[in-house]
Amino acid sequence: MLEAKDLMVFYENMLALNNISIKCDDNQIVGVFGANSAGKSTLMYSLSGIMLDIQKKEDMAGGERITLTGDVLLQNKSIMDVKPSLRAKAGIVLCPERRRLFKESSVIENLRIGGYLATKDEAKQTINYVMELFPALVKLKNRLGGFLSGGEQQMVAIGRALMAQPKVLLLDEPLLGLSPLMQSTLIKSIKVIQEEKNISIIVSEQYARPVFPIVDYAYILENGAAVMEGTRDELMDNPDVKAAYFGVS
Amino acid sequence: MSTQELRKERIDRGIKVRSDGLYALMSLRELSYLTLPRFILIAGMISLPFLMPGMYWQRVISIVCIYAVLALSFDFLSHYVGLVSLGGAFFIGTGGYVAGILNTYYGVPPVLTVPLAAAIGGIFCTLMLLPCLPLKGVYFAIVTLMYPLFMARIIEAFDIFGGTDGIVGIDSFSSAFVEQYFVVCMVLIFLFGLRRFVTTDRGLIFTAIMDNDQAVKASGINITKYKALAVFIASSMGCMAGACLTHIYMWSGISQFALDFSILPIAATVIGGAGTLVGPILGCLILVPVSELLRDFGTLRIVFYASILVGFILFRSDGIMVFIQRKYEQFERWTKI
Repeated sequence: MLEAKDLMVFYENMLALNNISIKCDDNQIVGVFGANSAGKSTLMYSLSGIMLDIQKKEDMAGGERITLTGDVLLQNKSIMDVKPSLRAKAGIVLCPERRRLFKESSVIENLRIGGYLATKDEAKQTINYVMELFPALVKLKNRLGGFLSGGEQQMVAIGRALMAQPKVLLLDEPLLGLSPLMQSTLIKSIKVIQEEKNISIIVSEQYARPVFPIVDYAYILENGAAVMEGTRDELMDNPDVKAAYFGVS
Repeated sequence: MSTQELRKERIDRGIKVRSDGLYALMSLRELSYLTLPRFILIAGMISLPFLMPGMYWQRVISIVCIYAVLALSFDFLSHYVGLVSLGGAFFIGTGGYVAGILNTYYGVPPVLTVPLAAAIGGIFCTLMLLPCLPLKGVYFAIVTLMYPLFMARIIEAFDIFGGTDGIVGIDSFSSAFVEQYFVVCMVLIFLFGLRRFVTTDRGLIFTAIMDNDQAVKASGINITKYKALAVFIASSMGCMAGACLTHIYMWSGISQFALDFSILPIAATVIGGAGTLVGPILGCLILVPVSELLRDFGTLRIVFYASILVGFILFRSDGIMVFIQRKYEQFERWTKI
């Protein structure tokens, strides 16, 4: 489905992603784990194309020079030079880190904005689907995005990403700053989304334990390089992974 | 596959690294890496009045310096304190009127009116802006834009300080030489003073207020006090420039509250390079003479002027100074990935 080949990103002279090749097959949940500054967000931005946008902006302002090399393939077609808006149209939808809700818009408006690419029927159905998936949002329909709690905001953010009818959903740190209970609720919903919508999901997270049960395949990033990869069971048995990402020694 | 084999990288020059953190300069030639640019600026500014052909262009240089001080205060306020002020005209007008009043009504000589105008005008402007200090961003900008209009209308409506005619018969500087060197020195002193000031502990607090005022409050610092101090510094500079303007034209009037004094410094800052402090001066040195040269085109002047500005914002939004600085401190080369 979505594949990155030898992806390299430089921020000026700093190497943010070093020769990363990852692959996400149809109907798979792929996990990307790594500490701060491992390059998770950079990878997500590169996959969704936002990096091209940042690159252009920095270029115009004469700031950092960002170099991108390698290739991103969607269904075996290169989309490396495709603008982020067109990538979203093709089905790669990013749910960004720190949620980035439209704070001045209500929950329902947030969802509607996300549904720009969907047809009217699809939008209606997806709104209903999101409300079913996250029943907590039904009561909050008309509350402004800025007044929601962290967990509710994340639900809206995921819902908004779903509204764009993704084929590949990129979730950048969806569990950031949430309570363990909320984390497990969200993770269950992510699994449900994958099963019901038959889409691929790439989820990045710092702490692997809550996410691990649902991933099919995982990559572990360290300082911009993929140091380990494998199926859930392979990684689960690896003592290094256990120590570093599960807090088990 | 769109794999590039090469990428361009930027590397700090060795001399830059040695003069920046290590202080390992080994010869006068290496020392000149630091001193030469400053020397060129100072020598250039001081020799400017000599190089100008005739009275008219010498007068232009004085005006450039007045705008430069104003642009300096704008750059300081907006990029080191985070208060985007459109009140350049307010500072100029206040300083101009204070100097005019002191000179004509109380007979104070120009030597004293200029510093007095800076002090009195600075206090007056700070007091006037005090209620607006909690405002941020565009709100502060709008309010400060209102002040010069407000002052001009008050003077017009109440017919005080000469009303629409302004205050006439103000003493000029004792000679053209004194006038030019006074403003040139004013620019240089303010420039190097501010450059030093923003690196002190107080300057650090200003920058912190710009970045995150809540965190500064949480550190137990009274941000209103510091913002007021910053406004005082900036407005004193503006008022001093205004006082000089009054003595140069031997007149102070409502047109000193004109919008030009608010807009041109901003344009100069954009062109010269925001946040560099030298940039705005460079911007003024380009913009003011250009607008003089364009005088032949009459009202079309603004069209050219605006085109230059739009072009700069679109294609060189970092400003000339940032560009030059980067070329001076870093070199580029192609490397294999």
